[in-house]
Amino acid sequence: MALIELKKITKIYDDTAVPVQALKDVDLIIEKEEFTAIVGPSGSGKTTLLNIIGGLDKPTSGNIIIDETDISTFKTDQMIDFRLHNIGFVFQAYNLIPVFTAKENVEFIMLLQGVEKEERERTAVELLTAVDLSDRINSKPTELSGGQQQRVAVARALASKPSFVLADEPTANLDSVTANNLLDIMEKLNKEHKMTFIFSTHDARVIKRAHRVVTLRDGAIESDVITDNAMANAN
Amino acid sequence: MLFNLAWKNIWRNKKRSLIIITAITLGLWSGLFSVAVMIGSWDTTVNSTIDRNLSHIQIHTKEFKDESLTSHYIPDGNKLADEISNLKAVKDVTARVLIEGMALSPSSSRGVNIIGVDPFREKNVTTIADYITEGEYFNGIKRNPILVGEKLADKLGLKLRSKMVLSFQSIDTTLTYAAFRIVGIYKTESSTFDKSNVFVRRSDLYKTMNSDPVVNEIAIRLISSEDLDSTIAILKENYSSLVVETWKDLAPELEMMYEFLIIEMQIFLAIIMAALLFGITNTMLMSVLDRVREFGVLLAVGMKRVRVFFLIMIETILLSLSGGIIGMVLGTFTIWYFSDKGIDLSLFSEGLSAWGMPTILYPILPLYFYGVLTTMIVITGILAAIYPSIKTIKLRPADAIRTYG
Repeated sequence: MALIELKKITKIYDDTAVPVQALKDVDLIIEKEEFTAIVGPSGSGKTTLLNIIGGLDKPTSGNIIIDETDISTFKTDQMIDFRLHNIGFVFQAYNLIPVFTAKENVEFIMLLQGVEKEERERTAVELLTAVDLSDRINSKPTELSGGQQQRVAVARALASKPSFVLADEPTANLDSVTANNLLDIMEKLNKEHKMTFIFSTHDARVIKRAHRVVTLRDGAIESDVITDNAMANAN
Repeated sequence: MLFNLAWKNIWRNKKRSLIIITAITLGLWSGLFSVAVMIGSWDTTVNSTIDRNLSHIQIHTKEFKDESLTSHYIPDGNKLADEISNLKAVKDVTARVLIEGMALSPSSSRGVNIIGVDPFREKNVTTIADYITEGEYFNGIKRNPILVGEKLADKLGLKLRSKMVLSFQSIDTTLTYAAFRIVGIYKTESSTFDKSNVFVRRSDLYKTMNSDPVVNEIAIRLISSEDLDSTIAILKENYSSLVVETWKDLAPELEMMYEFLIIEMQIFLAIIMAALLFGITNTMLMSVLDRVREFGVLLAVGMKRVRVFFLIMIETILLSLSGGIIGMVLGTFTIWYFSDKGIDLSLFSEGLSAWGMPTILYPILPLYFYGVLTTMIVITGILAAIYPSIKTIKLRPADAIRTYG
């Protein structure tokens, strides 16, 4: 069942001296529970595509349908609200709120959603336990390693109970062991909690684990491959 | 949690926040103290004018107000004074004879206001007895004692117990001379007053003029100045044929001085607040620019723009209030200290006495002023937050997330 459907998405940046076409008529369907990596060289349009899927940017033309809702025409505040309830984000640089503890960072998203305090606290502890950080609940980002911070970011992304999680180069700043640990957790969440993950990456470690790899080149989809991992996961 | 986040954000850059909090504290502290000194100086001047001779209310005849002749006396003035002294809000009443005349000494002469008083009751209404620097208040000389100001005594070359002659027009318009002996020399805050007023017993004046006990002025001292409006209403109703005036009518320059003071205070505070406004805006702008990526993330994950706007607004108000409250506490303590000890300005006594101002100032600040100041600080905070807040909510999360800092 299609969770995300991109129809003829074109993006032209015309606020530069020479207009740049970042995406050209991209058609893409992402099903629920996928573990997809969008890959490609720098300037291929991965980030633009991820921004458009995440509602952080608008296409010049085309439609984005998420859970049967066309978000291409949403106004700014409508889009913010949509993101809050439907999309989880994990960024390359973790981007946690530095003055909050790990628990408060996770709770904050639920606060924005208007979740009651008791439920917020319970869910935050559960999520941090799920990412193996039950012993670092009250630590501030500065007291955590890069890998731990990224795991808090994953817990934060899941806190809003989103339809899918967008992860932009989540392992780029992590060493191999930490990156693999993080990917283990994400895979587990995908398998056990049926959470859809979409990565923008050129990290081989992520590509190796992905169930589907969409390769972009010059703003167009060059290849779209279902990997062996998908088969293994289905079994 | 939004308040919690705002408060924690303020302390992310302690040095920067402390600098602006210190600036607000110093601004408020000095502003409060200066305003308290201004109000205190006005209040002290008013009180000393009331205490010195004006009292709270005075009554005259219409004719006397037009032309200050002793013959324009209040009919049954003494009886009327006794009647008024029975009013509940009245502390005491003094009935005076007022004559414009000349003071003569062997070396010089000057025009003076001769004020004939009942020494006992005058003491209950004004504080002229407390201003005596040499001699005693109508005590020690039996025949025609007189109180003169230090300045006048200097001008006339007279000393305590010196003899001086007063010449004035009697009620029947005949020119009268009488010799008086200086029983006391006084010095008030106003050198102008000291130069031109002498106090004698009114019984001595009646004897000299060979007249009935007439009264030109009834001065009324109230128990509390808060009863001024209600008392004046009663007196105006009961004695409509006479001119009943408060100290504000009698000394309009004091009222004018107050209005000027209020304008001066407003300008002064506006300058302080404007300086703080730019300081706070600058600090908040730096703080916001340091956190562009963070705000980008907040907008990306679903924090509504209005919430981001309020987050910055709350941060700014908390920052402003932190400095404001410390400034107010320090200001209050300083005012409290000096309102008891006073600020000694005797170095400038010459200049101050020309304006009738006391040399010791007691700063005071009405309670409502703290409310006004708190409101002003909050408004300054809100105004200072507008530009940084607008700048922040205009961020495009996709771009902001990729910035450094």
